Amino acid sequence: MMYTAPVTVDEACQLLASNSAAKVFAGATDLLPQAQAGRRLEDVLVDLKRIPRLMNLEVDDQGWTIGAAASAARLAEHSQLRSEYPGLVEAVALIGSDQIQNRASLGGNLCNASPAADSGPSMVVNEARAVIVSTAGFRTIPIADLVRGPGETSLEPGEFVAEFQLDRPAARRADAYLRFTPRTEMDIAVVGAAARVAVDDAGRCTDAAVVLGAVAPTTVRVGGIAEELVGSTFDEEALARCAALSSEACRPIDDKRGTKEFRRHIAGVLTTRVLRLAAERASEQR
Amino acid sequence: MTVGDNRTRIDAHGKVTGEADYPADLPAEGALHGKVVFSGQAHARMVAMDTSAALADPEVVAVFTAADVPVNEYGLTMFDQPVLVGLNATGIADVASDVSRWEADQIAFVVAESAEAAERGAAALEVEWEQLPAVADIDHALRDEVRVHPESGDSNAYYTYRIRKGDMEAGWAEADVIVEDTYVVPHQEHAYLQPEAGIGYIDSEGRITVKVAGQWTYEELGQILHALDLTEDKVRVVYTAIGGAFGGREDMSVQIVLALAAWKLSQQGETRPIHTVWSREESVVGHHKRHRGRIHAKWGATKDGRITAVESVGYLDAGAYNYTTNKVLGNMHLTVGGAYEIPNAHIDSHGVYTNTVPGGAFRGFGAPQGAFVAESQMNKLAEKLGIDPVELRLRNTLQEGSIGITQVELPAGVSMPEVIAGCRDRSEWGTRPAQVSDLKVFESLPSATDRTRTGRGFACSYKNVGFSFGFPERCDARVEMYGDDEIERVVLHHGGADVGQGAHTAFLQMLAEAAGVDIERVEGVFSDTGSSGDSGSASASRLSWMAGNSILGASEEAAKAWLDGDRPAVGEFRFVPPATETLDPDTGVGQPNFAYGYVAEAVDLAVDIDTGHISIGSVVCSTDVGRAINPTLIEGQVEGAVVQAHGYAISENLQVVDGHILNPRFSGYLIPGILDIPDEVDSHILEIPDPRGPFGVRGMAEMPFIPYAAAVVAALHDATGVWFNEFPLTPSRVLAGLQAAGFSAAG
Ligand SMILES: Cc1cc2nc3c(=O)[nH]c(=O)nc-3n(C[C@H](O)[C@H](O)[C@H](O)COP(=O)(O)OP(=O)(O)OC[C@H]3O[C@@H](n4cnc5c(N)ncnc54)[C@H](O)[C@@H]3O)c2cc1C
Repeated sequence: MMYTAPVTVDEACQLLASNSAAKVFAGATDLLPQAQAGRRLEDVLVDLKRIPRLMNLEVDDQGWTIGAAASAARLAEHSQLRSEYPGLVEAVALIGSDQIQNRASLGGNLCNASPAADSGPSMVVNEARAVIVSTAGFRTIPIADLVRGPGETSLEPGEFVAEFQLDRPAARRADAYLRFTPRTEMDIAVVGAAARVAVDDAGRCTDAAVVLGAVAPTTVRVGGIAEELVGSTFDEEALARCAALSSEACRPIDDKRGTKEFRRHIAGVLTTRVLRLAAERASEQR
Repeated sequence: MTVGDNRTRIDAHGKVTGEADYPADLPAEGALHGKVVFSGQAHARMVAMDTSAALADPEVVAVFTAADVPVNEYGLTMFDQPVLVGLNATGIADVASDVSRWEADQIAFVVAESAEAAERGAAALEVEWEQLPAVADIDHALRDEVRVHPESGDSNAYYTYRIRKGDMEAGWAEADVIVEDTYVVPHQEHAYLQPEAGIGYIDSEGRITVKVAGQWTYEELGQILHALDLTEDKVRVVYTAIGGAFGGREDMSVQIVLALAAWKLSQQGETRPIHTVWSREESVVGHHKRHRGRIHAKWGATKDGRITAVESVGYLDAGAYNYTTNKVLGNMHLTVGGAYEIPNAHIDSHGVYTNTVPGGAFRGFGAPQGAFVAESQMNKLAEKLGIDPVELRLRNTLQEGSIGITQVELPAGVSMPEVIAGCRDRSEWGTRPAQVSDLKVFESLPSATDRTRTGRGFACSYKNVGFSFGFPERCDARVEMYGDDEIERVVLHHGGADVGQGAHTAFLQMLAEAAGVDIERVEGVFSDTGSSGDSGSASASRLSWMAGNSILGASEEAAKAWLDGDRPAVGEFRFVPPATETLDPDTGVGQPNFAYGYVAEAVDLAVDIDTGHISIGSVVCSTDVGRAINPTLIEGQVEGAVVQAHGYAISENLQVVDGHILNPRFSGYLIPGILDIPDEVDSHILEIPDPRGPFGVRGMAEMPFIPYAAAVVAALHDATGVWFNEFPLTPSRVLAGLQAAGFSAAG
């Protein structure tokens, strides 16, 4: 096994192009536990953390650029990111513990492609984009197209994610993320739910979306949420219908962490609560 | 005064700085590495084992199998387990050597130049098994279609206690209300920090030496001597820093194979020490658990709240081997009727062999299972009678002079009434609502406040201190006083294990007090069969009580010798408490114990009725310790026990299917995190002296664990009106229970 630490995107692309058995990593908080559990490590490991572009965290009029290897802790500490994307920050701040967040990256969280990854629902609900790079150059895809299934991404050999992009949110728009775990921290989502909500001056819904995690092989965008909510003031009945839509949209499995029925039920509960939270935030934002 | 002082633990510095040696840290330079190989078979007969591929590895030094063990059987209370399961066993064992009765039966010990090579050697073993049907649980076992131990008796239900007291018909006739239910209690994993590990070598005096973490040096020595057919002068057992035990180290793990390997290799001229360390998964799979079980109970009481009759039939899953099941079962048996005066009782308790992980010692030792049943029954009676549950307890409680469930008078010093009343007052029972600060368990999932319910629950219990049922209980101490005109230095030699509870600190405080010297002048040499006598186990909440008495005796002897002019003045003393009795097999009559501890708890709870998430606010634990030798250490025990019980009651959910543990890692077996534990544990320490305890001491370390699950269930009932007869109270179980009781889905 060889450890490499390129300092430019080009160098990293070259390493990947010349070694079919090379693998990139950032915090290694997924990589190392997997190796300890018996998965063979690739012959060449490419550490992305020395590449400035991959560690970048920047905002301008166009939007946000988040380096794929920037740590969750840095994202969580960024006060402007917290005020513009409170739900995304909520999600990354739930990853593991303080120690884990000092290492864990968005790129690793998404490219590890666990159905339970906490940042997935928030990134999808906020319509983030992934900027992918290889020796062939850059390409940009919607985040929802990045993950194909458990452990599987749409990246081609030789490609890795350089950064993520997010638009600046419009006025009176906000997101939120909630997850359900039996243990308060250091536990993996049984269900995760992200919501994005926009309201008008009167607090009436103008747009809404919900994306669920851990209830299907990939994140699930719940259909029909906007139709239920636009024009409403998030009344009980409308939220209950949204909860039912979420429960219905789940394709969960039975496993050690929860039964299908339990996951469906919790998806509904989370949907109600996360929409309320996002709506409150949106009303407070000008 | 050193007794009553909050001395800093003598081992604190080493543990905080990392200097303390745990068995996994022992200097392994130049050491060989051993790998214990588990069978992986819940129930199977070995047909063949080929070690040649493993031995062909140039870095594999040796592979020990059943054929190498002189007497291939061991066990703490019965020799019912092969040291190594396998073929060509010689010797005199009663238990068949070739059958794996549990997935972690050990089949080989591979010794190699490195840990990696030992792993390779283990993987290269070729073993052929003939599958036998696995007895997966108690129900399956009770059908007796498949026998786990055909050599023992005629049923998998191999051990039974009975109580026949009074006249049951009269008891039911007198009863105005009856409460009847079936309770299911879960396994629990000890989850100590230091997994099983140790080193085996030949010491400078030629003794086969194992340095490990355990609870009772002499018992381990005895089992090693039996299995290796050696005499006491040939073997030595030494404890390092232990890293938690909680009963999980009462039974053995790596001791015999380390001794075997050190012994056999030294005969071949190989004298390097052998080091072995289990992974967390190996630890969880490879050592016993708190017993799971099922208990049916039926209690009757009069309108004015007097218990008239208790009927109960309980089963504990012993798993594949007895370990301490016969004793744990006895304790469940004694506590399943609660700490109450019961005129008429009919109780049967059975231990049942299955092909699952053995049940064994774990803080509380059967009392948590018994108390869960008894206290749930009591809380249900209170509801049915419309009597406050604390008041109902006070009307029935055991008190000084009471005749216990085994029809003999309880040992003097019964403080149950004071403890119940103490907890009632301290917790402002009946006069304030539940306090759960900020629902912090919902931090990641804030509850809508209108979807939260709060409640309070109460439970109490008693449990023996010291070994029971006629065991020849004793404790040795040796005290040496050095100096000329005045005593300059006092040295204690003692076998009692400090498993992390702070026992050695308490011993030295008691020694300083007894010898009348400053604490700076005392020191101890501990837990080495080469230099200390038999102190019995660090278990049964017995160590302060027993060791304190032995230290008092040895100090007195040493003081006499000092007055006689001996320098150093040496006192040796074996403390023997009042004898106990085995219970009559048909009626349960007898004096099982010489001392008890008493505890009561009040718990404040909040539950999110949409998710089933439980949060615990304040816990008041009133516990009678007789005399607090070191109040800070006692608070540590109370808080630790409550947190451990919290995991038992709420989150720890060992999944065992067809004899295999499915979640042997802490990512799947959820011990509580710091954010999950109660907001506050109020350690309410009562000091009502035990008339026979040293300085009045009572045992205490298990007690705060015992009533917790029942108190939480009572609080959940107070919050929701729903009773739960099974735990852990995971969100999915709670939610299912609430929904079954008609709670509507999320709003
Ligand atoms: C104790 C503990 C607790 C955890 N708790 C949580 C939790 O609560 N929620 C949660 O979602 N996760 C959790 N995790 C998982 C993990 O921490 C996160 O998924 C984390 O975000 C992974 O980031 P990383 O940088 O460490 O990934 P790495 O381990 O470095 O990489 C993970 C995978 O992604 C690939 N990869 C990394 N970067 C890129 C890139 N730029 N382009 C292409 N592929 C890439 C790697 O090749 C690898 O396959 C936990 C892990 C641990 C050890």
